[in-house]
Amino acid sequence: MGIKVEKTVEFRISRFDPEQNKHYASTFKVPIRKGTTLLDALLYIKDNFDDSLTFRHSCRMGICGSCGINVNGQPMLACYTQVLDLGADSLLLEPLSNFQVIKDLVVDIEPFFDTYKRIKTFLIKPEQEFKKTDEFAQSPQDLKKYWDLTLCIKCSICNSACPAAIDAKFLGPSSLTATYRFISDSRDQGLDERLKPMADNVWLCTQCNSCTMFCPKKLPCANAILDDHSLLVEAGNIPRTVKDVLESVYKYHNPMGTHQSRRMEWAKDLDVKTFPTVAKADVLLFVCCSNAFDPRNQEIARGMVSILNRLGVDFATLGAEEWCCGDHMLRLGEKGLFEELSAHNVSMFEKLNVKKIVTISPHCYNTFKNDKPYSDAKLNVQHYTQFIAEAIEQGRLKLPNTVKRRIAYHDPCFLGKRNDVYDAPRNVLRSVNGVELVEMKRTRQNSFCCGGGAGRVWTEEADPDKRPCVSRVKEALELGVENIAAACPFCITTLEDAVKVLDVESKISIKDILEVMKEAA
Amino acid sequence: MEKYSHDLIIVGAGLAGLRAAVAAAEVNSKLDIAVLSKHHPLRSHSVCAQGGTGAVMREKDSYDLHAYDTVKGADFLADQDAVEFFVRQVPREIVLTEHWGCPWSRNAEGKIDQRPFGGHTFPRACFAADMTGFLEMHAIYGKATSYNNIKFYDEWFVTSLIVEDKAAVGLTAIEMKTGEIQAFRAKSIIMATGGHERIYEFTTFSHSTTGDGMAMAYRAGAPLEDMEFVQFHPTGLVPSGVLITEGARGEGGYLLNANGERFMKKYAPEKIELGPRDVVSRAEQTEILEGRGLQGPYGPYIALDLRHLGEERINLRLPLIRDVAIKLGGVDPVKEPIPIRPAAHYSMGGIKANVKTETPIAGLYAAGECSCISVHGANRLGTNSTAECLVFGAVAGEEAAKHASSSSLHEVPQEKLSAEENRIHEIVSRNGNERAPAIRDEMRRIMKEEVWIYRNGPQLETALKEIRQLKNRFRSVRIEDKGKPFNTGLLETLQLDFMLDLAEVTIACALPRAESRGAHSRTDYPKRDDQNWLKHTLAYCTGDGPRLEYMPVTITRWPPVARTY
Repeated sequence: MGIKVEKTVEFRISRFDPEQNKHYASTFKVPIRKGTTLLDALLYIKDNFDDSLTFRHSCRMGICGSCGINVNGQPMLACYTQVLDLGADSLLLEPLSNFQVIKDLVVDIEPFFDTYKRIKTFLIKPEQEFKKTDEFAQSPQDLKKYWDLTLCIKCSICNSACPAAIDAKFLGPSSLTATYRFISDSRDQGLDERLKPMADNVWLCTQCNSCTMFCPKKLPCANAILDDHSLLVEAGNIPRTVKDVLESVYKYHNPMGTHQSRRMEWAKDLDVKTFPTVAKADVLLFVCCSNAFDPRNQEIARGMVSILNRLGVDFATLGAEEWCCGDHMLRLGEKGLFEELSAHNVSMFEKLNVKKIVTISPHCYNTFKNDKPYSDAKLNVQHYTQFIAEAIEQGRLKLPNTVKRRIAYHDPCFLGKRNDVYDAPRNVLRSVNGVELVEMKRTRQNSFCCGGGAGRVWTEEADPDKRPCVSRVKEALELGVENIAAACPFCITTLEDAVKVLDVESKISIKDILEVMKEAA
Repeated sequence: MEKYSHDLIIVGAGLAGLRAAVAAAEVNSKLDIAVLSKHHPLRSHSVCAQGGTGAVMREKDSYDLHAYDTVKGADFLADQDAVEFFVRQVPREIVLTEHWGCPWSRNAEGKIDQRPFGGHTFPRACFAADMTGFLEMHAIYGKATSYNNIKFYDEWFVTSLIVEDKAAVGLTAIEMKTGEIQAFRAKSIIMATGGHERIYEFTTFSHSTTGDGMAMAYRAGAPLEDMEFVQFHPTGLVPSGVLITEGARGEGGYLLNANGERFMKKYAPEKIELGPRDVVSRAEQTEILEGRGLQGPYGPYIALDLRHLGEERINLRLPLIRDVAIKLGGVDPVKEPIPIRPAAHYSMGGIKANVKTETPIAGLYAAGECSCISVHGANRLGTNSTAECLVFGAVAGEEAAKHASSSSLHEVPQEKLSAEENRIHEIVSRNGNERAPAIRDEMRRIMKEEVWIYRNGPQLETALKEIRQLKNRFRSVRIEDKGKPFNTGLLETLQLDFMLDLAEVTIACALPRAESRGAHSRTDYPKRDDQNWLKHTLAYCTGDGPRLEYMPVTITRWPPVARTY
């Protein structure tokens, strides 16, 4: 039909010829009209230019789950994506990640479907109940509790984006969500049986949120997995490593197993003010347990102090009254413990009439912004990269020294994926004289988690090649950068572990942005 | 060539195929069952079924009402004994899928909710929002994978059925991942491969639903029944043809022409938008032909207006439709009408099978859309296709299991296997100057221009001639991809080969039927002719194209009467 061509888009397609075991690329120019989907474009190429181009497709209406591919690094359904909506003149099409490629854009999805064999995908009830000849009753309200979770089309996009799924032990977002779908179904009576297959692996989930972000059907997968965590915590069915973390927080109000009275030791020679010793300060610096207690990460906190002092900011910390923000605990499923921690912190904020909070960790930032009761308290909170970026923009911060270095920035998930803060940390890094900022292949929304979220930073036991941090460091090594910079103490810990595991300390080192700034100060 | 053996092989893993697998596994836990599908089962076209599954679930409804609605909808071409059996079986299937976990939509009492549908005199469409087929599929697949005696061969493309002494003994299939062609032996084989509406361009069908099973059974000697009856769904989304469920009208949606009129009042004064599909599609086509279609960049269309239902009801009852309309049609049905027009949707015809799903070939069974049993006659009612897949899928599983338990494997002759290998090899290595996509597009042009909602003798004659020319041209098709693994260029060419046969049969069956009945509307014979044409068409494969025979319709209780809505 006569509908006009809006533009011509270049399709660069990653190809694989299994018989020659050869990877190569093909480029095609495709006329794009209003309404042309990625799948239409692929079919156009196959019909007109190259019948050997291989990809899966069937329903062309986003329901059969065949046509997931990576487009400019982001997984999506080809049939359910309008080319014009991507707003690009050139697109890189690649097969989904985390799977073996069979040919071109076709990957081996058998391992994905194998995860379903480990769980039960039908109602569990006592046998005699199934002799009923009419339906089991279910109210519309009870249906609503799990309805959204039934809409998974099993396209495997979540698995493709999932950092934990590089370990086959992990059931994966789709199967874990399916498990929670049945647990939440009022007709089902199989809770104990359903908890078993995930009890030893669901903890590999880092709550990075990639599954939820990229799900073409908008399933709240990450939340379903969080609820799986909670059920296991309630059932007391948790591994020793997780138990140790939780017990430390019960006992000390921090996961580091150190008495709260030592919380300010990192600043002993820095003259940092603490509430309530001072009645008020313009800014509350929320330090984070890792920065306060981990000797390696104390440097990050010290870096923050040097910048705040340089800016002349009137700030104070909560001192020993800073309890763990609870972000990791909540995402490990310990909702009760989170309630206790958050209630304490919120009451401190209110008692001290705190007007502005700056966090060093993205995890504190995230939970303050998004989780009740913090979110109800409408806190005025910034991550330090936002705070410093503002100062730079206003010309209030100039660092004298040059740091001549190629640096790749790693997006912390709780800053980027969960809160859309991508530019502030980059702007801060760019402001340092001499720094050459390099982007990794997986970057911004498509960034790859370090593997530290939801408590995994303290529970990691996987073989090195199954750790997300190792995959991430390898990716940076390919770029030949001297540093990976991050803006999160947990990213620093995991990535530094990976550097040690890979034995590449002479080639690359891990720095928090604050440490780079301290060098320039 | 390796040889695989199973007691029972099911070809196709949509609703009918999966239901058959579960039924067979339940009959005999020792039975060795294989399910071969050219894609993963959950990619099957059944997931696209939306509006509901018709079942008599409540006191005010009755089997007789459902049966009569079906027979009348079928324009009296359905076999009434099959229909009477069918309607009695559906409720059990609804309850079974519910027990397996299907999240059926519920009424306030917590029972399965039901909505009105075209041609039904009672709101008997059980539904799971507007993703009924999708959720039924996932429920049944979830159950099917729990049996140890069902082996799934995903992404195995079946190329031919092997028949020896009028009995099905095996088949050949390409393992897509390696590209190797392999032979399978079985005591029973069930075809559950769906319809053939991809012979049309503007269709609600998934790309991969190309009628392979019908074509293979036909080539192997099974007759295809009533292939002239192709259903056009009144609401295919412009421009893609993606299905917009009849449930949208079941929920109260209006069809409007360019003058903003609910024109269906003229064509079906009682049922209005909820007339049966043949009636509504003809009405739309007439409005368009008489210049009352709306004008858009993709040609004339009809407006499906849901705005008065309100956002809340649309989100609750028709969430997929809203999403699809936004993503693929560029309109939000909460704010503006959806552009639609009739789209090829369903094949009433298929492999001739009786109420036990037995075909004239011993050991070969057929269920779902690829079969013709015939419960749909000349026009299927909405909600009866998912129902049919469940009911006759179960019957096929049980019957084929029984047959397999009491028979033995036959040797598959080596020369048959070599012949099939040679046939495929010849297609791959051709050096002709034709390309499959060009022939495919030409076939679809012919089917659209000459074999659409309204047809006439001269059009059908032209179409038959042109399709046969295309079959000739197909012999010179060249495939550029000479590789073995995942050669979709080859597979699509084999699908085109199947479709050309099926297009030819469809036209050849339509040409002599000098009447208008159900979905077969002849402008040169506008009236139904019970005197001469109250009979089923049977098409047999010969070297010169289809040979036609006719067979009486089974009438039990409802003699034909004038059909008004």
